[in-house]
Amino acid sequence: MRSSDGNVEVWTRANTRYTDGAAPAAWAQEEITWGLWSVPESEVAVLPDTQRLDVVELGCGTAYFSAWLARRGALPVGVDPTPAQLDTAGRMQAQFGLGFPLVKARAEDVPLPDAAFDLALSEYGASIWADPEQWIPEAARLLRSGGLLVFLRNSTLAMVCSPVDDEDAPTEAHLQRPLFGMNRMQWSDGGVEFHPPHGVLLRILRASGFDVEDLVELQAPEDAQIHAEYNYVTPEWGRKWPAEEIWVARKRDA
Amino acid sequence: MPELTDHARRNRAHWTGLAPSYATATGWHQEPNWGCWGIPDSELRLLEDVSGKDVLELGCGTAYVSSWLARAGARVVGLDVTPAQLETARRKQAEFGIEFELVEASAESIPFPDKSFDLVVSEFGASIWCDPLLWVPEAGRVLRQNGKLVFLVNGVLSMLCYPDEPGPAGTELLRPYFGMHRVEWSFEDSVEFHLPHGDWIRLLRANGFDVLDLIELQAPDGAPDPMFDYATTEWAHKWPAEEIWVARKHS
Repeated sequence: MRSSDGNVEVWTRANTRYTDGAAPAAWAQEEITWGLWSVPESEVAVLPDTQRLDVVELGCGTAYFSAWLARRGALPVGVDPTPAQLDTAGRMQAQFGLGFPLVKARAEDVPLPDAAFDLALSEYGASIWADPEQWIPEAARLLRSGGLLVFLRNSTLAMVCSPVDDEDAPTEAHLQRPLFGMNRMQWSDGGVEFHPPHGVLLRILRASGFDVEDLVELQAPEDAQIHAEYNYVTPEWGRKWPAEEIWVARKRDA
Repeated sequence: MPELTDHARRNRAHWTGLAPSYATATGWHQEPNWGCWGIPDSELRLLEDVSGKDVLELGCGTAYVSSWLARAGARVVGLDVTPAQLETARRKQAEFGIEFELVEASAESIPFPDKSFDLVVSEFGASIWCDPLLWVPEAGRVLRQNGKLVFLVNGVLSMLCYPDEPGPAGTELLRPYFGMHRVEWSFEDSVEFHLPHGDWIRLLRANGFDVLDLIELQAPDGAPDPMFDYATTEWAHKWPAEEIWVARKHS
């Protein structure tokens, strides 16, 4: 079984439980924000000018991020392997009158042409649910020279501090798992995530033809609240240590 | 010599005090290697192909890294702010018959013209004892286009876990990651500098570098505990106690 098969089942269930119901509010949101603490894009400024920008979102889920970009003049294509989430995305497109292509595919193998995009984006999509050895080269293939890859994932530190015995317990202020060798993580619900250390991820990006331009480690603001669904990190933890991080990389000229 | 920063003066005094215990430093006879666990450079290949190149070591101490580079045919300059350490380096030069230039200066103000070097190295030198907001721009300035910067620092994760007393890193996160920069320990009068990974990447980029690699060094399983007390082998086999950044000057 491919890792993505288990993940499609996980996300089919998660869509019923949470993301389908959360989609209307996410789509309606005016501001572009990042992660658990809803850090505004205006603060981190990792995205380029969106006007007429060809964007591929890898692991788009219910495609609210693509919707935010489409509303700002971008031309997104949402890619996701989970039909249930794409169904929700399609329903939102109709409800909000905002159409763009949705493609059912794994980020490791995307049925779209080479050099067709200016921005490859993943917000807790391929960035943690697909094998970086496969999806990052695929993102490089899809991007034009000079194109940007921007992705949000859990921080390495949060994964190193995530409890081993109780998967639902919050992230600790203690090292729980070795960093060396950390990458593929199989959860008891059948999901498979990928969390390579910074050095490993940097080497994959370089080897795939990217220059790393930024690593934005997101800090919880003073007034941050614990997330209703993703409650594995407390705001207190997130104020001291990065729970999440955004990588920004640019495809080198061939 | 330009006026030293306050932390450079304090670190010079600190290293003047330590110098006697480094006076019989053994690094000169070694093969090139990295860090407490002596990871061979033949595995990492960061100091290869230096023959005929202009190389600067920032915070060379007793200059054993410079000696390896000189032996490999590089034109080396060892720079350090502590005269007592440079004295040891000079004695070692005579002992080993390996000559290269030694300069007393802080890496925060490098007394060389722009674009003088092909490689800048720092191995627990300027890389932790100087303010990166000052020494990284200086390294960028003295490097030629496509020149490389290679530096070894403590693993940022180990710096979160290092107690404020002599003794190895544990598993508890003892201090915040956000805002980490200048670090002073209560048990010694010195100033170290440790940055989060994102801050390193932004600082290197802002000074004209492409970030080529971040090598998080793993202690070999079962190796003896190192002479330095900041991490046990068992800890450093699981988490990086040391890491090497590799960057290239692009403009």
